[in-house]
Amino acid sequence: MENISDPPHALPGDFAIWVFIFAELTVFGVLFSAFAFARAAHVDLFNQSQLALNRGLGAANTLVLVTSSYFVARATRAIKDGRGLLCGHWLTGALGLGVVFLALKLFEFHQDYAHGITLSTNLFDMFYLSLTFFHFMHVLMGMAILAVVAYKAYAGRYGVEDHAGVETGGSYWHMVDLVWIILFALVYVIR
Amino acid sequence: MKLTSIRPLPCTSTWTLLLVLTLASLRLGASGSGPALVMAVLALTLIKGQLIADYFMGLRRVRSLWRTAMFAYLVVVGGLIATAYLIA
Repeated sequence: MENISDPPHALPGDFAIWVFIFAELTVFGVLFSAFAFARAAHVDLFNQSQLALNRGLGAANTLVLVTSSYFVARATRAIKDGRGLLCGHWLTGALGLGVVFLALKLFEFHQDYAHGITLSTNLFDMFYLSLTFFHFMHVLMGMAILAVVAYKAYAGRYGVEDHAGVETGGSYWHMVDLVWIILFALVYVIR
Repeated sequence: MKLTSIRPLPCTSTWTLLLVLTLASLRLGASGSGPALVMAVLALTLIKGQLIADYFMGLRRVRSLWRTAMFAYLVVVGGLIATAYLIA
């Protein structure tokens, strides 16, 4: 049992992933700010176009991604307890939710296209499609990483003392979740 | 029975809180528009972001520099978005 007075731990996982995570967060931060300031010059257009989005699907995907992040946190806990098989199961669950996220997003993209929302419709749609597609690619990348980590967990390649790979992959996945939390509020909710 | 065996894990409480805050954001957003609602939703988003950083990523247990860097990121991005919405 960890005590709150324990000395600070090292960063979870490889140090390099944290450099990468902050670089990714910076890119998304710039894009989010660009969206917000572009809106400042086109408030009516952005407010009007936002109404065409399926906010329910966006919210459902938020719950899905938050839950998958929770599964990854449980996987990390499991491997710290030396339970490789359980770690693999939690990661497989997280991957399954990743598939659900992608399926819902593809359905949403299909709906958008049917409603005439394209990159060239207007400035809001360009931002919305670019941001969500960019994030979509990060989910794919995160799932590829989680799949490798899950495989290695099932193969018994991690243990109580050696589980940096689970923390590294997990940290990236949590970043993908964190970015979506901001994206959801910015693009789907506030107006 | 040890107390730790019946107390929920911090990540389980965090997950529950994140679900509640997401639904609260959705409800707030559906209730209208305007600066007050924008600030409220952004504040909830900042809290959600820090919860993910602290309890899912595990930054609460590492040197405070990293936790501060993540908090600074959320405040700067949230602040820029808030500024853009207030000047609009």
